Amino acid sequence: MRYVIIGNGVAGITAAFTLRARDASAEILLVSGESDYFFSRCALMYAFMDRMSLRDLEPHERRVYAKQNFRLIRDWVTDLDASRRLLTLQSGSSLAYDRLLLSTGSLGEVPDWPGLNRVREGAVHFVTLQDLGRAESLARSAREAVVVGGGLIGVELVECLVYHRLKVTFHVRAPWYWPGALAREEAEIVSEHIRRHGVDLRMDEEVAEILTTPEGRVCAVRAKSGHEYSCQLLGIAVGVSPQIAWLRGVKTPPRLGRGIQVSSSFETSLENVWAAGDCAEFSANGAPFIEQIWYSARRQGELAARAMLGDTIRYDPPIFYNSAKFFGIEYTATGEISPSLPGVQTFFCRLPAREASVRITERAGAVIGINMLGARWDHSIFERWIAERRDMDYAVAHLPEAQFDVEFGRVDLTPVAAAYHNWRARSAAAK
Amino acid sequence: MVRKGKSAWLVHDLTHRGLTAWLLTALLVAFYLLLYLTHFFTPVARSLGLSSKWTLYGLLYTLAILTGGIHVLRKYRRNRYQVVRTSVVMFVQVVFAFSIPEILKFFHQPEYYFSYFWPLKFDDLNPGVVFHLPLFYALYSFLGALVMVPLLGVFFGKRWYCSWVCGCGGLANTAGDPLRHLTSKSSRAWKFEKISIHFVLAVSVLLTALLFISYGLGHRATALSRFTYDFQTVYAFLVVAMLSGVIGAGLYPLGGTRVWCRNFCPMAAILGLVQKLGSFRIAVKPNMCISCGLCSKYCEMGIDVRSYAQANQSFTRASCVGCGLCAEVCPRGVLRLENARLRTPQGASLVRIAPLTSASPLSPGGQR
Ligand SMILES: Cc1cc2nc3c(=O)[nH]c(=O)nc-3n(C[C@H](O)[C@H](O)[C@H](O)COP(=O)(O)OP(=O)(O)OC[C@H]3O[C@@H](n4cnc5c(N)ncnc54)[C@H](O)[C@@H]3O)c2cc1C
Ligand code: SF4
Repeated sequence: MRYVIIGNGVAGITAAFTLRARDASAEILLVSGESDYFFSRCALMYAFMDRMSLRDLEPHERRVYAKQNFRLIRDWVTDLDASRRLLTLQSGSSLAYDRLLLSTGSLGEVPDWPGLNRVREGAVHFVTLQDLGRAESLARSAREAVVVGGGLIGVELVECLVYHRLKVTFHVRAPWYWPGALAREEAEIVSEHIRRHGVDLRMDEEVAEILTTPEGRVCAVRAKSGHEYSCQLLGIAVGVSPQIAWLRGVKTPPRLGRGIQVSSSFETSLENVWAAGDCAEFSANGAPFIEQIWYSARRQGELAARAMLGDTIRYDPPIFYNSAKFFGIEYTATGEISPSLPGVQTFFCRLPAREASVRITERAGAVIGINMLGARWDHSIFERWIAERRDMDYAVAHLPEAQFDVEFGRVDLTPVAAAYHNWRARSAAAK
Repeated sequence: MVRKGKSAWLVHDLTHRGLTAWLLTALLVAFYLLLYLTHFFTPVARSLGLSSKWTLYGLLYTLAILTGGIHVLRKYRRNRYQVVRTSVVMFVQVVFAFSIPEILKFFHQPEYYFSYFWPLKFDDLNPGVVFHLPLFYALYSFLGALVMVPLLGVFFGKRWYCSWVCGCGGLANTAGDPLRHLTSKSSRAWKFEKISIHFVLAVSVLLTALLFISYGLGHRATALSRFTYDFQTVYAFLVVAMLSGVIGAGLYPLGGTRVWCRNFCPMAAILGLVQKLGSFRIAVKPNMCISCGLCSKYCEMGIDVRSYAQANQSFTRASCVGCGLCAEVCPRGVLRLENARLRTPQGASLVRIAPLTSASPLSPGGQR
């Protein structure tokens, strides 16, 4: 049996390990155009900030791959012919498969800003190794930068540029930072913190046009507010989308939406072809959804491999969780965390004299989401409470069990308990 | 990418095995060779009013720990574990490893170091030495090495000594901090360490046994005593001067800060064995690791922490000195040092939601 995996990201490599664990004699080939070896995409920023070398980003010693008997091919796949079970590579050679996994990840989204099409140099994404290379060479000469996009990749890029002593303006279209996950109160803590690092953070700012020199170098960003921001580096971090453009022109394209459409057992519309990770699009109750984080890619890679091995798999995304770090502030989220959920009750408490906060959201007497800033928490305990439909009283009373701070550094939760008491009394009075 | 500017280049070069790092290594090695093998520093010490070159060395060493310690305290000021631990290690160095021995000497007492134990200081169980000490010191030597060290190791892990008390660890964790990432993380280095450190331990135990036997036999065993004496001289030269001094501290800029502690220190070997049986461990928060590798990169003992974290495996490694830097640098708060049997309510995190599958695919080839 010959398994071919396109993409050596976390989804692809996890699938490869899973296949090998179950099938010692299978031929397993990984094809990837971006890098020779699997690396941690989430750690790109640490390479940019000189905390690690590129080699350090590789999660496994290189000899592991030989030991696992994986064949690694550095190339781009340009054609897929499912009727002959054949791939064509950019180098011209072709590659036959018995079973194929598409785990092609995502690329930075290209917005339709006026003037962006004139840009020859100065605009970068921050998603791939090649993006990193471009960003580094620009950061060497640039003095000012504008980063657009108020999400997680944006703030990481901003941190890197600040490290390299560029004057950074950070444009966020929304009225506060990251409204997809943070409410205004949390966003204020984060914004204050980002500003304290010397970043000029602008809310409600939207790009009107990218200005370039006659040679096509970025020289400024004109915003809809009328402001013009001079810059030699423009960071585009407005989101990522599945890397599927290449699949539109192949002999037998799988069914595509925003990503590669798959069933709940990771099957694409083509026979013997599966997809997993950032590029896979599922549908739940008719609505398409794509998960684009490390944890989901890893989980999907494992399950897709099991599906390829013949197991019956029904993928049902577990309770959501994620974590991040905004410069120095750590962030842990579990469950439903969007600040604009209907029919919910939310308890929020900012810890005194700390850049830290606690938010617990309840619907119909059961906790559905917990959003924590500035301290360390074990999200798996939160997952359990949500799964067990615990109420808010229980969650607040048991918060210490989920603390994961360093020894001697445990955050004092008495102010949270007191604030919760008041909040309860007030909401009872309101009723 | 290295920051722009000359000073940033210099810092990078010094901390990434550049030319300046090699130069610094040459200087350090030369310093240690002169210190151990010649009397070069004796007149220097005298001219400063110090009693010997060893006092001068102790002074320099203490200053290095203090200045490095202040840097480290500022760098990790938001992490209470680092603040407490660094303060303790600085205090121990100033008081127990420098001031008290000097004061004792001044009052014509034996120059005794309360912060060092056998086998790191093998004279502590050398009958020819220890039986001639006043009873209190002799008792402290025996009970310290044979009871206190292993007992504390069982409860708190190796760290109580290696990163809270010991001067070697003290230097590594203060002045050595900018070089901590240089320790090799390869599995080959791990294999080497397991052999070398237990070999040195075996040699030091053998030497101590011989010292006791020849002491017991007294005049009746002149051939044995002569052999033991030579053995001891070779041990002092090879292990104490060469491995702990010249190689251990001299190679900081090339091999990282714990070359001695990781590969050769017999005390660390004993504590490592005790640690494996005791309650200390590094707890891993399940399914939260992003495999970034910062924990492995900044582990001064060369432990590939990431390989455990991404496999959702809480673990205890013999070599871990519990410095806590992996937990400090982890951007996702995955790691936590703990004494598992002395747990606070935080211990509830022991009850885990079962991981996706029992055989985690990211733990390659049953390496551990
Ligand atoms: C800067 C940054 C920071 C992030 N931080 C976090 C974080 O902190 N936490 C988190 O949960 N998630 C984070 N993410 C998201 C996370 O990295 C991704 O969800 C995850 O890497 C997706 O893995 P994957 O295996 O699906 O795809 P990828 O890792 O993108 O791998 C796909 C690979 O396939 C290759 N490929 C694609 N098409 C072809 C082709 N035609 N031929 C050959 N090869 C091809 C690509 O070049 C790529 O190497 C971050 C992402 C970025 C960009
Ligand atoms: S530092 Fe944290 S997230 Fe990064 S590899 Fe180590 S445990 Fe995983």
